[in-house]
Amino acid sequence: MQLRPRAGTQAYFRWRAVGDRVLVTNLEGNWLLLTAPEFAQFVEGHVPEDSDLHARLKAGNFLRAHYDVRAAAERIRARKSFLAGGPNLHILVVTLRCNETCVYCHASRANMDQVHTDMTRETAERAIDLVFRSPSPFVTIEFQGGEPLVNFDVVKHAIEYAVDQNRAHGKRLQFTMVSNFALLDDAKLEYLIAHRVQLCTSIDGPEKLHNAQRKLPTQDAHQRAVRWIKRVNEAYAAAGLDPTLYHVEALLTTTRETLPLWKEVVDTYVGLGCKALFLRAIDPFGFADRTRQRLEYPRGDYMQYYRRAVDYMIELNKQGVQILERYASIFLTKILRGEDPNFLDLRSPSGAGIGALAYNYDGQVFTCDEGRMLHEMGDDTFHLGDVRTSSFRELVGHETVRAMTIASNLDGQPDCVHCTYQPYCGTIPSFNHKSQGSIFGRMRESNVCAVHKGIQDYLFEKLAEADAETLAIFDRWTTVRSRDHFVQPAP
Amino acid sequence: MTDVHELRFSRQLYSGEAVDQAVKAFARFAAFDLEQTDDHWVVRMRPENPDLARRLRGELGNHALGLTVQRGGAK
Amino acid sequence: MTTSIEGAPAGLVVADEQAAAVHFLVDEELYPLPAIYGAAYVFIDRCYVFLDRPEPARVRVVLTAKTDAAAPEALRALIGEFANELLSCAFRHQIAQDNRVLVETATMQALAGAMGQPSLDDLAKFDFSDQGFDDPLGIAMSWEEKHGRKSPKPESEGAP
Repeated sequence: MQLRPRAGTQAYFRWRAVGDRVLVTNLEGNWLLLTAPEFAQFVEGHVPEDSDLHARLKAGNFLRAHYDVRAAAERIRARKSFLAGGPNLHILVVTLRCNETCVYCHASRANMDQVHTDMTRETAERAIDLVFRSPSPFVTIEFQGGEPLVNFDVVKHAIEYAVDQNRAHGKRLQFTMVSNFALLDDAKLEYLIAHRVQLCTSIDGPEKLHNAQRKLPTQDAHQRAVRWIKRVNEAYAAAGLDPTLYHVEALLTTTRETLPLWKEVVDTYVGLGCKALFLRAIDPFGFADRTRQRLEYPRGDYMQYYRRAVDYMIELNKQGVQILERYASIFLTKILRGEDPNFLDLRSPSGAGIGALAYNYDGQVFTCDEGRMLHEMGDDTFHLGDVRTSSFRELVGHETVRAMTIASNLDGQPDCVHCTYQPYCGTIPSFNHKSQGSIFGRMRESNVCAVHKGIQDYLFEKLAEADAETLAIFDRWTTVRSRDHFVQPAP
Repeated sequence: MTDVHELRFSRQLYSGEAVDQAVKAFARFAAFDLEQTDDHWVVRMRPENPDLARRLRGELGNHALGLTVQRGGAK
Repeated sequence: MTTSIEGAPAGLVVADEQAAAVHFLVDEELYPLPAIYGAAYVFIDRCYVFLDRPEPARVRVVLTAKTDAAAPEALRALIGEFANELLSCAFRHQIAQDNRVLVETATMQALAGAMGQPSLDDLAKFDFSDQGFDDPLGIAMSWEEKHGRKSPKPESEGAP
């Protein structure tokens, strides 16, 4: 169809063909899916005032004559509410030692005899002192590694020191631990449950794939993780906690081997009682760089995998199974609710430094965990300071944080600035730096951008289909139920 | 005696301080002679090890460019 | 000996295989100097980058492989990547000017929100000595410095 756009009646909008519809979005993230004739009427300025289309355009703030500046400002303020928040995620890498050897290891692991990569109690205390300098009233301390259970004494000390320090600060304090569970035992589990530590593990799908990618000398990484997932879930239930809300969540890393196993991956997660599955693509950090040729895949293949897996998850939901895809949940919360769930890699500007800090085992502080991994690979671009010598304001006000905040603002990014998905999207400066040589990156050639656009295309296609059951499922995926049990009791 | 290699840095594109600083950074590896013309900062370099001449030229150029960019340009 | 590169504008991009280098004559009307600096800076960890101005409003960019030899395909890939980065930098330069207020406002809010209010210790440690102080309107000047104190009129001699 030949269009003759006539400026003057439309307020600012961006557009993109989605299936047989045209998606239009505006500055504040309102959206409409128009048919081709409706889009033609809109851009040519011939929308009859008494039409349904006019009413929809007016309600969405797409018409210049009816533009509601105050409403637009309120919507933008709601979407950007995270801006004034400050760092709420604090990642403590309590050791680089790890008992598992993963083919894509993101964490630049160390062998079990490398005890010098254990964080000391003193370093943990200094890191936690900085955590409580954050102006954010909510702070989450996430224990990572390596494998954090390898240095469990320091994990325990950090928890007790943080709880003690919080008596003076009164923040909403939470702890999470990302562990492969292989070194868990009854005493450790009892301690973690008693101290309300939220537990998260890694499951790469069915047993054979998991054990091939995450290697233990005993070849039973999957069996061990599964056994402990069940034990943890039983412990939550025994404590009287709602199992739909309190259960182990797991993380997936998608390699080339994962792609044909989309159904098996979903079934594995459902079988383990997980309510969420994050179909994360592999990233270029840690050892994955060396083995990329074997593990990587074209992003077109990834998107086919994503679509099949999420289609299947939607079908399962229609049969009463509760399982959501995390990327979809994040995007849909922004699209359908006009809120930002503050996922640090999917916001503008990104959360590096201003939303999160990563503390390495030796007390070095980084803008993000990926920056910490690059340090282990010899690249100190994202290094901010040291827990012993740097003040909180020096770390967060560091020129690297300022540069990353500017670089990840989509209002300054070619392609993004005109992208229909800009109100819902985000870029990752550390990924851009690693893959394209600058923290700005080039979005047209970026794998992250391809995935973000592909997922949003998929979601808007589903929204255009307007299947009532699917829309109800999507609505449920955007509902955040607070897990208050994991918040430390008020001092 | 090793060959003399000449690099001519445009004064419109490179900061003089950046070129000076770059030369100082590589002083251990070569003898340098600096001259200023209307258009260029001229660096004549006599490397200690002739096999390193190509690399020295390249690294010196990158260093001068990097420092120029960090200073916000030639002026 | 120099040769042209397939797919690149004739006369603007030439490869010097013997030197493992590729030359790109950039028009500053299309690509402003800050964009050329930006793209050049991104490449200094991949190759040797040298800039020259052979004529007004033109910048010659020379990219030289860090190894002695470079296959023609490698040189083509290098200049192709550079051209993409240059275009991206030029566009970003324009966007930065257009959206400066938006980006600066969000950055200020984000950093102020993340850093929180300074403590008394932070203020005590603050080093004011190194701060450039630009005061074009003379706001920081005392009234006397700005306007000059009117000296009392000398009593005229012989006044009544």
